[in-house]
Amino acid sequence: MEPIIRLDDVSKEFKVLNRHEGLKGSIQDLFSRDYRIVHAVNHISMDICPGEIVGYLGPNGAGKSTTIKMMTGVLQPTSGKIVCNGIVPYKNRSENAQKIGVVFGQRTQLWWALPVIESFKILKDIYQVEDAAYKDMMDLYGSMVDLDALMHKPVRQMSLGQRTLCDILAAFLHNPGVVFLDEPTIGLDVAMKAKIRELIQKLNEEKNTTVILTTHDMGDVDALCKRIVIIDKGDKLYDNDMEHLSNLFGAYRTLSLLLTKKKDACDEQQLDELAASVKALLADKWDESTCAVSRNEQQIEILIDEAKVPMMKVLNAVQEQHKIYDMHLQEISTESVIRKIYEGGMA
Amino acid sequence: MWRKYFSLTRAGILDSLQFRLSLIFTVVGNLLYLLLIYYLWRAIFASVDSPVINGMTFSDTMVYLVFASALFNFMEMWIVWTVGREIQEGKIVIDLLRPMNYLTYIFFRGFGEVVVKFLLTFLPTAIVVFFVSDGAIPVGTNLIYFAISVCFSLLINYYINFFVATICMHTESIWGINIMKEVIVGILSGATVPLAFFPQAFRSIAMVLPFQTIINSPLQLLLHPEYTAVQCLQILGLQLIWLVVLRLLAEWFFRVSLKKITVNGG
Repeated sequence: MEPIIRLDDVSKEFKVLNRHEGLKGSIQDLFSRDYRIVHAVNHISMDICPGEIVGYLGPNGAGKSTTIKMMTGVLQPTSGKIVCNGIVPYKNRSENAQKIGVVFGQRTQLWWALPVIESFKILKDIYQVEDAAYKDMMDLYGSMVDLDALMHKPVRQMSLGQRTLCDILAAFLHNPGVVFLDEPTIGLDVAMKAKIRELIQKLNEEKNTTVILTTHDMGDVDALCKRIVIIDKGDKLYDNDMEHLSNLFGAYRTLSLLLTKKKDACDEQQLDELAASVKALLADKWDESTCAVSRNEQQIEILIDEAKVPMMKVLNAVQEQHKIYDMHLQEISTESVIRKIYEGGMA
Repeated sequence: MWRKYFSLTRAGILDSLQFRLSLIFTVVGNLLYLLLIYYLWRAIFASVDSPVINGMTFSDTMVYLVFASALFNFMEMWIVWTVGREIQEGKIVIDLLRPMNYLTYIFFRGFGEVVVKFLLTFLPTAIVVFFVSDGAIPVGTNLIYFAISVCFSLLINYYINFFVATICMHTESIWGINIMKEVIVGILSGATVPLAFFPQAFRSIAMVLPFQTIINSPLQLLLHPEYTAVQCLQILGLQLIWLVVLRLLAEWFFRVSLKKITVNGG
């Protein structure tokens, strides 16, 4: 399929001024040549197809926003090329703006003092949306959320959740090909998060809109994204399906065992010995990378790579020597995989 | 085509009508300022023997200054403050992504408030002055020249403000720069003191700068019905030249600055 967004070896360097203090210093800075170079994005390439929801992830300061700003045309890449909707965004910013929508979770594009419906009318005129198309869109919105409760309320009187909801609706209003969502669920409660995710999902399905989502909430990623791209320090670390992500560090699962009675006041030494004996037992059979033993309070936790050894075998081996009072099995979560990547687990 | 501009203006009007109290305070503050300059200039004229200073009588001076401050007030779009702050907070990204020219967008976003201030402060002031001054404001073609000139002034003032706001991208401080701008524009435009009162040398400098076209030009056209059509068109022509030059300058400076600057936030 023809990609809707193509990034071709894109880099962005910032010349950052080493600043001086005060008004005098500021005026000095106008003429200063005292720069240092920051590499915000390094040689990133990717293709995004129409209708995809791509999670664009990375720790704070990884270069996510910079990439988004380049894709939207606010910033110009230092090298490389971006094509979005067949337009080079930083060369034709306003033309590109007509075909994209944006939501910045921390900021609103709505008119602060006016009822939301007024903002929508302004956006309709700014984006030159036809009356019929506008009406269709509002009908569609009406089927998804309770518009009446929202539309006549001034934005400044809204809760953050309501405001974000309206901002998302506003971003889709002119039926853009691509919508950029920058941390849309930041600061929202669990119910509102779910509602927002559902809305994004529905709009994506209904209009086949491509969605680029940056977030720090793995719940968003699990609920929405089929594909994720991870960057850190400007480098692309991962670009693949969600399914592959969980296999990235092997098929890990954590087996948590309780080998002492819960109510027993076991002393630390006893538990350490217990953990050590389990460790020795397993070390005879498998190496450390296959099943690693650690102690968490009373629990003995065994991290098992199921690609190498089935979990049941490990359980059997332990059971032969120890009485197991309680156990549970944890799937490794998206969050912990991502955390591992952020912390440099890929290196 | 014009619909988007109308729509933005309308939003600005609705927006500023939400803040009635602020409008009232603007009017009250303006009245206090006028009271102050009334007594100041009465004292100045009382200290001199002749009833005419630099070719202006007390009543001429008052009419000039009342109009100057009324013009200055209704034209103020707070561009340096709003755009400067949006640059600082990184909110500028949202407005850069409107499908229209940024300079034009910001102008029409603020234009609604100008319309409201024109109707609710400038117009009443002008009408009151007209009746109180009893014939000091001539009525004729000068009103048409004045109206055209004020439109030019509004744009010239906007582009100067926009240019200054762009400087904030580099300094990331707004306060000092804005104060500097207010003082420079206030004096060199003739808003605080009529240019006729300045020494010849200073006046010649002021006349070659763009600032005098903001307040001095329209008021000359209003208060001097004896000007010939050629003289009037010369004044308007000069305004138009500055308007175009400043627009290009503001646009260019903004484009260059945007390339160099990291957009804040995230």
